[in-house]
Amino acid sequence: MHSASIFSRGKRLVRRLALVAIAAAAVASNGCAASKWTVRPHQRELLADRIMSLDAIGQEQAAEQHILENREGAVGGNGTAGGGCGCN
Amino acid sequence: MQLRRPTFGTLAATVFVPLAVLALSAAPARADDPTEASARLTFFREPSTDNKGITVIHPQVDAASPIGGGLGIAAGWEADAVSGATPAVFGPHVGVDAITSATQFHDFRQQVHGGFTYNRPDAGIGASYAYGWENDYKSHSLSATARDDLYDHNFTLALSYSHNWDSVCDYNNSAAVTPADLHPLTSSAHCFKTDPYIATKPLAIDALETSLSWTMTPRLVVQGGGTIQVLDGFQSNPYRSVLVGSIREPQEHEPTYRQRYAVFARAAYAFPQWRASGVGMARLYEDSWEVQAVTGDVVVNKYLGPVMLLSLRGHYHLQSGASFYRNGEAYRVLGPAGQYWTGDRELSPMSNYLVGGRMAFLRRPQQERSSWFAEMEADVKYELLVYHVDSVDAPNADRPYAHILQASFALRF
Repeated sequence: MHSASIFSRGKRLVRRLALVAIAAAAVASNGCAASKWTVRPHQRELLADRIMSLDAIGQEQAAEQHILENREGAVGGNGTAGGGCGCN
Repeated sequence: MQLRRPTFGTLAATVFVPLAVLALSAAPARADDPTEASARLTFFREPSTDNKGITVIHPQVDAASPIGGGLGIAAGWEADAVSGATPAVFGPHVGVDAITSATQFHDFRQQVHGGFTYNRPDAGIGASYAYGWENDYKSHSLSATARDDLYDHNFTLALSYSHNWDSVCDYNNSAAVTPADLHPLTSSAHCFKTDPYIATKPLAIDALETSLSWTMTPRLVVQGGGTIQVLDGFQSNPYRSVLVGSIREPQEHEPTYRQRYAVFARAAYAFPQWRASGVGMARLYEDSWEVQAVTGDVVVNKYLGPVMLLSLRGHYHLQSGASFYRNGEAYRVLGPAGQYWTGDRELSPMSNYLVGGRMAFLRRPQQERSSWFAEMEADVKYELLVYHVDSVDAPNADRPYAHILQASFALRF
């Protein structure tokens, strides 16, 4: 298990992702520029499909978490309310 | 090194209140979600090369319904019927001090839960309560979620928080002078009753998770987020002993405080020409017991005709061991690594991978007004979970894989 090299690479990746996220947040927080990054309601047909959901069905996700959290030493990353589709 | 304990109540309130205000002050309620009733049965089988292994049967029943004005309620029940055999003492698996005898056990756990949601077009909140009980464990859990859509639904900021008040049955070890004097619990028969040999230990669990989702293109949704979980209380397996040195077999002894952190990224991409999608997740994890982990998960979904949906899944997890973990032979020869010892596979250096698939049958009447339901779904799933531990003396080395079989049925009105 080369966990040390994996985690040092992982931490570098996290730093880069954080920079990308900060840049994205800066763009998103600019009202004029935000329109360039907007997906319009009529463009959301594909996103509304159930196969585009980041979260499994609630009951299925509960069963899956129940198994893996008892078989792995890690938790998290299961997603919170919402999902970003904006298909309401 | 442990950080100062965060004040979760203050933190949660600081973030939740603005989101809740947004949810409650937004535009009129959105169209209600459908009423849904669903049932699911999971069969988990982890065979052993030494004994009868572990079998878990996990039924779930849930119902959710709108009650108007954007409000919805939900309730459910689930259970675990667990049976099998597991060694009462963690020690070497081979050699003159090998421990291969296993104790048979049966347990039955149940949980009921209920909650509500309140959704507006741009925001929503929810709260739920769960109570779980079994012979040797009780759990009360309160959780809350909030989300807010930003910039024409192109971003979603979401937050969830939960707190558990758990009680664990243990042998009354108040007379133990050192951790090496700890006795394991031998039976759950007198748990939560007045018995001088039985004690009840508290365990508090706080979990906070936040995420930001971004609809990047008409085909791509991405999400990034983080999770913090803090456990404070008794976390050992009360029944398990560990052979520490070649003579003593004290009860498993784990720290009572654990901070756990994870950052994650997820994405979903549509392939409309194939009526398919790919969904992926990557997670980095670290905790105050020095467990570090990398996890990846990929699901490919593909419609087969108008009513069938096939999903194929791959999952990989790699982790280091806790700072106080040693395998059975090392505990026997070298003794403990510090003041703690464990026989928990999930605290050992290990990896696993999971492969499987799910087939769903979807029935959506073309003219919903003439049908008594809007959608019916039945699905079956099979997954194979394979473990790789670091030595033959690692915990549960005799149980190298598990089968997961699941079937479910849901109706939406």
